[in-house]
Amino acid sequence: MNGFVEECRQEWKRLGVPDPIANEMAFDLSADIEEAEAEGGSAEDVLGNSLFDPRRFAAAWASARGVTSAPPALMTVAPVARGHHAFFRPSIVVALAVFGLLAALAAVALAVGGRGAASVARGIVSVPGSVRLRGPVSVARPFRNFVFGPSLSAHGAAPFVALGFGLLIVGIIFLGLVILYWAPWPGRDPKRRLW
Amino acid sequence: MTNEDGRRSQLLRGVLDLCLLAVIGEGPAYGYEMTKRLRARGMSIVGEGSIYPLLGRLERDGLVATRREASNGGPPRKYYSLTSDGTRSLRTGVEEWKMARDAVDRALDLLETEVTP
Repeated sequence: MNGFVEECRQEWKRLGVPDPIANEMAFDLSADIEEAEAEGGSAEDVLGNSLFDPRRFAAAWASARGVTSAPPALMTVAPVARGHHAFFRPSIVVALAVFGLLAALAAVALAVGGRGAASVARGIVSVPGSVRLRGPVSVARPFRNFVFGPSLSAHGAAPFVALGFGLLIVGIIFLGLVILYWAPWPGRDPKRRLW
Repeated sequence: MTNEDGRRSQLLRGVLDLCLLAVIGEGPAYGYEMTKRLRARGMSIVGEGSIYPLLGRLERDGLVATRREASNGGPPRKYYSLTSDGTRSLRTGVEEWKMARDAVDRALDLLETEVTP
C-alpha cells in the first residue's frame, strides 16, 4: 500500500502541491488505510475504485482542495466534459500549426520551383516571340509579381502557380487559426484556453 | 457496469456531499470514520470512489472545518466538523432532497398505476 501513497506523492509533487500539504494528505491516507487493514478490511474499503488509479485520485483530491499550482496531466484532464470544445485539444492545435507551416513552406518551394521552371523554359526556347503564352492566370497581379516574378505566364509554370498559391492560402488560414487560438482576449481566462 | 449500477452510481453521486454533511453533523469524524458511518447505514458509497476529494471540496467551500486531534490509541487524525454554512447547506439540501424524492415517488406511483391492472 505504500506504493499507492508513494504514487500519490509523486503526482502531488508534479502538480506543485506544497510539501506540508502533501505530507498531511499522505499521512491521513496512510492512517486510514492502516486502520482499515487492522480491522480486517482492505485499502479498497477506504479508496474504492480509486485504488486502481492513484494518479487520478491524487490529482482529484489536490484539485478539490485547491492546492495545485500546475495543470493536471493531459491524460487526466476530462475533455469529454468540454463537449464540442474537444476539437481544440492542444495536440490538434499543434498539428494544425505544423500543417500550416508545412503548407506555407511548400508554397514557397513551389514558387521558387515555378519560377525556375519558367526560366528554364524561357531559356530553352530562346528565339524571341517563340515562347507560347498561356491565357491569364487567376492570380492577383501584386502576388504574381511578388511571388512568381515576370516569368509567371511561361509554359509549365501555371500548375506550380495554382498549387503554390493554394497551399499558401491554406497555410495562412491554419496559422491564423492557431494564432487566434493562443491570442489573449479581453475577459478570457488565460489558464482556460479551450473554448 | 449494468444500467442499474450506472443509475445507482449517478444517484449516489448527486447526494454524496449531502450524506457526508449528515454524518459529519452527527459529530466530528475523520475520513475512514465517515466511511464506516455511511456503511453502517447501508451506503457503501466508497465503492463508487473515494470520499477524500469531496471532503476537500467541502473544506474549500467552507462547509466543514478541520482540526488535528489524537484518535483512540492511534496517530493524530484530521477531524472534520460542520461550520455554520455547512449546517445551513445541510438543512437546505435535505429539503431539496425530500422535494425531489417526493416528486420522483409520485411519478413512479403513477407509472405503477398505469402498468398494474
